[in-house]
Amino acid sequence: MLTFTLRRLASGLGLLVVISMLTYTLLFFSSTAIARNILGEQATPEQIALKEAELGLDQPLPVRYLGWATAALRGDLGESWFNGEPVTQTILNRLPVTLVLMIVSIVLVALIATALGVLAAVRRGRVDQTVQVGAVVGDAIPGFVLALVLVTIFAVNLGWFPAVSTIRPGAGPEAWIVSLSLPVIAIVLNYVTSSAQQIRSAVIKELDKDYVRTLRSRGLGEREIVLKNVLRSAAPAGLTVLSLQFIGLLGGVIILEQIFAIAGIGPLFITATTVGDIPVVMGLTIVAVVVVIIVNLLVDVAQGALNPKVRLS
Amino acid sequence: MKSIMKTVGIVAAGALLLSGCAAGTPQTEETAGGDTAARGPLLTIGQLGDLASWDPSQAHVGHALVPYQLVYDTLILREPDGELSPMLATEWNYNDDRTVLTVDLRTDVSFSDGEPFDAEAVVANLEHFKAGNGRQAVQLTQFESATAVDEDTVEINLAQPDPAMEYYLSQAAGLMASPAAIEAGTLETDPIGTGPYLYDKANSVRDSQSLFAAKEDYWNPELQKFDEVELRILVDVSARVNAIISGQVDWTTLEAKSADQAEDAGLEIIPDYQVDWTGMTFLDRDGVINPALADERVRQAINYAVDRDTLLEELQLGRGTATSQVFGPDSGAFVDDLEEYYTYDPEKAKELMDEAGYEDGFELKLPVIPAFATQITALAQQLGEIGITVTQETVPPANYVQDVVQKKFEAFNFNLFQGEAWVAINQIISPTATFNPFGTTAPELEELISVVQQGGEDSEAAAQDVNRYVTENAWFLPLYRIDQISVFNPEKVTVVAQTQSAMPSIYNFSPAE
Repeated sequence: MLTFTLRRLASGLGLLVVISMLTYTLLFFSSTAIARNILGEQATPEQIALKEAELGLDQPLPVRYLGWATAALRGDLGESWFNGEPVTQTILNRLPVTLVLMIVSIVLVALIATALGVLAAVRRGRVDQTVQVGAVVGDAIPGFVLALVLVTIFAVNLGWFPAVSTIRPGAGPEAWIVSLSLPVIAIVLNYVTSSAQQIRSAVIKELDKDYVRTLRSRGLGEREIVLKNVLRSAAPAGLTVLSLQFIGLLGGVIILEQIFAIAGIGPLFITATTVGDIPVVMGLTIVAVVVVIIVNLLVDVAQGALNPKVRLS
Repeated sequence: MKSIMKTVGIVAAGALLLSGCAAGTPQTEETAGGDTAARGPLLTIGQLGDLASWDPSQAHVGHALVPYQLVYDTLILREPDGELSPMLATEWNYNDDRTVLTVDLRTDVSFSDGEPFDAEAVVANLEHFKAGNGRQAVQLTQFESATAVDEDTVEINLAQPDPAMEYYLSQAAGLMASPAAIEAGTLETDPIGTGPYLYDKANSVRDSQSLFAAKEDYWNPELQKFDEVELRILVDVSARVNAIISGQVDWTTLEAKSADQAEDAGLEIIPDYQVDWTGMTFLDRDGVINPALADERVRQAINYAVDRDTLLEELQLGRGTATSQVFGPDSGAFVDDLEEYYTYDPEKAKELMDEAGYEDGFELKLPVIPAFATQITALAQQLGEIGITVTQETVPPANYVQDVVQKKFEAFNFNLFQGEAWVAINQIISPTATFNPFGTTAPELEELISVVQQGGEDSEAAAQDVNRYVTENAWFLPLYRIDQISVFNPEKVTVVAQTQSAMPSIYNFSPAE
């Protein structure tokens, strides 16, 4: 188990290096007017040259990347070129709300999807059809459209929730709950049905297997068979789809945070990318890659725990 | 099985109940009520973006100027109609050749860190602004030096006359910060001024919200109309729409397409509020890249080929005013009869094209960024009618202005600010203007510009002649002036437009009656 985990970690680090290089290269070639964006449209060529030298924009790509990478290895992600704030600080300020949003959503998705999936597989009929149709609809409607509909109904018209986040420094849990309710509901509605669909298929497949028949013949109750045996065997399929959804959420929350004006990493990603704030974009990329690596690792470990065969491969 | 469902159901219902309750409680605290004169409790402003720095040398215009007014006073106060009134400066006068501006100062004001506001402080601020090289560094282009004559008198020495200097002292260049804070280099995150409010750093989060509290004993309580002011940063337009309709912000800026929705919800839009004109600027008027554009008949033909009223209706839902001139009604350079100088006349456009020798048309290459994609597509269709083929080249938005300045385009579409005549001339017309990268000029035009620069009586007439010259010679393709969709909640606040500024000054906000 330890070597397995270490091997996964090593490949994750490799991925981190490759992605940081690729991102840096892409940013290098796509943003040519950074100094002007910082100084404004009326800056003179001399002012721009001065700023470019100050930021090291006049250096060749390998030099700039190595400079960034060695600092990053020491844990220093630099400062924003636009507002001078340390990148690590900026990200640490914003990451908690994004992670809370993602984790709460995915836990709810897991719980509800499992319940729906098992119910659909066991009961079939009407419940099953609803889950099947729901999967198609839920997948087809983009999360931000759902979010806008929810805001219009529950925030603007009914006034049950704030339309934009009220989370601020020192805000109590109620601000977090009311501010994150609608985005969480939007994510859950958007994601739950396709997970439920996966779990349903896996459970149906398991229910047809010989061991289930054997268990039934031994007189075990149907509920016990489903919850103890079938669900355990069906779990890997569910875990895989949930981990993919969690990673997909990294992109999904960017737009949701923008709509609900939540001070997470989403709006930061958008602004930094638009203006070419390379230190911030690089910092966020690293965080995103690390989150992906951790999630994959956790899922792999969980799969291994559920099914010893995975560990050997 | 059933028990799982039940548990999930109860948890979900509980969460909804809990959140429903919490949302039901009002988000703003009850007001103490009536303890301070006519001050309102809290003003919440929905801003389009956050400031990069609280250092006034980095201040800009419009939305990127007003937040500074919370913390910093300016030397001169610009009234909503553009008139300049005393603020930290009580009086100001030019010498005869308008190169020395003598400014008298208030003597009863101090900065929030206890430093006195005096002539030395003004000198330190002007020098700091000049050295700070910010987005409005151009405001002190003519500034050479400043000297403290005595404690409450400053002399500002200019290299050449600048008719907009007094205006600049009501804008970014006039914001006054504590000299001690300038010295310490801490203004970027800790603004210290003499202004009506104090920045509450502990309760502010960059790019999310900034909080300000009224400063007790502010020297001019008339300008201090709220106990607290909050800036909510709402980059996304649908977030701004939702926030103002649901009452979470009292004022914000929207777009034409959400204006009806806001009005239906009982909100008010500040009437007759226009700041920018939109359309195309012909850059290559000497024909370096595209020889066709050197012929003014071609540029005029383009102006006649365009149906401004239809474009205004389709692109801006009629919220604006079609125009043929680039100067606004309050600029001093506005000329009534230029307003409809170019009417929609495809026949005349074709004749002009024939005369210029382009009866078979030509190719016009335009850079495209998302903000102008629809405008350009609509123009391409109308220009196609007189044989002009518009080739669209998509460019990264971040590089747009840079590429204009570097003479990469023959023409480009943009929204340009209609400020004071001298400001606009320096932005789009003079040979050194940012948006005249090819340095197009003419002797008669330069003559007029130098008269404008001298200021005084003849200045305004000369500015109008500049306007006439660039309109008749079709330097631009102005389409229409855009209505600002500046929305406020009339139950909470009253807001008055600030002429030539995309955002009303902070002093223009007051509690609703």
